[in-house]
Amino acid sequence: MSPFILATLLFALGLGTMITFASSHWLLAWMGLEINTLAILPLMAQHHHPRAIEATTKYFIAQATAAAMLLFASATNAWLTGQWDIQLMTHPLPVTLITLALALKMGLAPMHSWLPEVIQGVDFTTGLVLSTWQKLAPFVLLLQLQPTNSTLLLALGTASTLVGGWGGLNQTQLRKILAYSSIAHLGWMTIVLQFSPSLALLTLIVYFTMTFSAFLMFKLNNSTNLNSLAISWTKAPVATALAPLVLLSLGGLPPLTGFMSKWLILQELTKQDLMPLATLLALSALLSLYFYLRLAYSLTLTVSPNTLIGTTPWRHPTSHLTLLLSTSTVATVFLLPITPAIVTLFSLLGT
Amino acid sequence: MSFFMSLLLLGLVLGLIVVASNPSPYFAALGLVVAAGVGCGILVWHGGSFLCFILFLIYLGGMLVVFAYCAALAADSHWESLGSQSVAATMLVYGVSVGVLAGGFYGGWYESSWLTVEEFHELAVHRGDAAGVALMYMPGGKMLMIAAWTLLLTLFVVMELVRGKNRGALRSI
Repeated sequence: MSPFILATLLFALGLGTMITFASSHWLLAWMGLEINTLAILPLMAQHHHPRAIEATTKYFIAQATAAAMLLFASATNAWLTGQWDIQLMTHPLPVTLITLALALKMGLAPMHSWLPEVIQGVDFTTGLVLSTWQKLAPFVLLLQLQPTNSTLLLALGTASTLVGGWGGLNQTQLRKILAYSSIAHLGWMTIVLQFSPSLALLTLIVYFTMTFSAFLMFKLNNSTNLNSLAISWTKAPVATALAPLVLLSLGGLPPLTGFMSKWLILQELTKQDLMPLATLLALSALLSLYFYLRLAYSLTLTVSPNTLIGTTPWRHPTSHLTLLLSTSTVATVFLLPITPAIVTLFSLLGT
Repeated sequence: MSFFMSLLLLGLVLGLIVVASNPSPYFAALGLVVAAGVGCGILVWHGGSFLCFILFLIYLGGMLVVFAYCAALAADSHWESLGSQSVAATMLVYGVSVGVLAGGFYGGWYESSWLTVEEFHELAVHRGDAAGVALMYMPGGKMLMIAAWTLLLTLFVVMELVRGKNRGALRSI
């Protein structure tokens, strides 16, 4: 791909999200989402591999459906209430439709099935963009909606955490596991969205940090399935030694960063007197933890038999930029002690 | 007015049913064009003369070219025309469902709810839709620039997607 085209597309990717951030009018928010979708398509299909093309087509169809539904819902809103403002939605029908459309855009549970297929079809860098940057614009719109019915978001969130846990159990492909992990984390975020928006933002950012280091770690090891993980300790020993910490942080074990968001969400749910839901969520985290633990096991906690030559290959200086990986790994592992500072920061951002 | 409006609305529903009932691309394109054209007619009767003029000339003009290409690419020897069994069955299902839905709302819609935008539907300079164009160019000028840039971006995206002949995305594998 020509660097000029690449720069144009990346600029458009940023522009789309920024337009959605800045808009208070549904038409403009829709425009931003469409620019975002358009700009990512050539990046996904840049190698013209059949799997990548298939993933691009699936992504395009899912996103176009969601965008059309969003446009339909906002036009219905303008018809029913006579205004296009995002924050002044009063009628329950457009609010529900828009919530579902945004859930389809982000890949929340009943509308999630495109996400693992798409992430599996593209390379790690594009998958990282899809599971971080592309979630921001729908999330910001979802944050600004005034929910008329709290059950919808709770149901979406609970279904996402359960599906994210159960779906990942049987996978051997890393990108699919990461996609299911994305679904589960977004489910946690959706559940707390209406009770504490700043906590939802915190969950999203913490998830971005963790998934950033997981994607970069697998990219460094150049491994896309469980089998090839078993020899990655011979390629990058330090990164592999830290990998279980990153994975268990994604799973939400204390004293790692991932525990922070789960802890605070469970606390918020108990404050809202939603004990059964909090219990269900905590149990669904166990499902996710199982496949993270299996990844960690085959990556580091066991040494599979191999020949002497197989275990001692030449280790050339890596050409990957590891600065980002090391920074995000440190953030993924060590941020729990400064939880009060982070919570304060995000509650300041939320106001 | 009432008769003509009913005719146009019926044409719109029929056109959409033709598109939705999955015939060969030629007939689907035909249905889409019929639906869009009749929709423009409905806009005229509701007082959006300038709006439908723009829609018909520019949007439909571009869409027709696209559909000519699509229909030429998707040429097949066995046509699924409107009379063929599967298409006719689907059309029947859609038609009956539209009828049932319309029956559910029957009585809530009557002719006096068909208002024109500014009490008359002749073409004039000081009208809602003509003023909307002025608004789009004046306060919405920056947004219009972004929209135009997005169209250019779409061109780049399409060219990047179909680039590289037999190594590109559009190839037989």
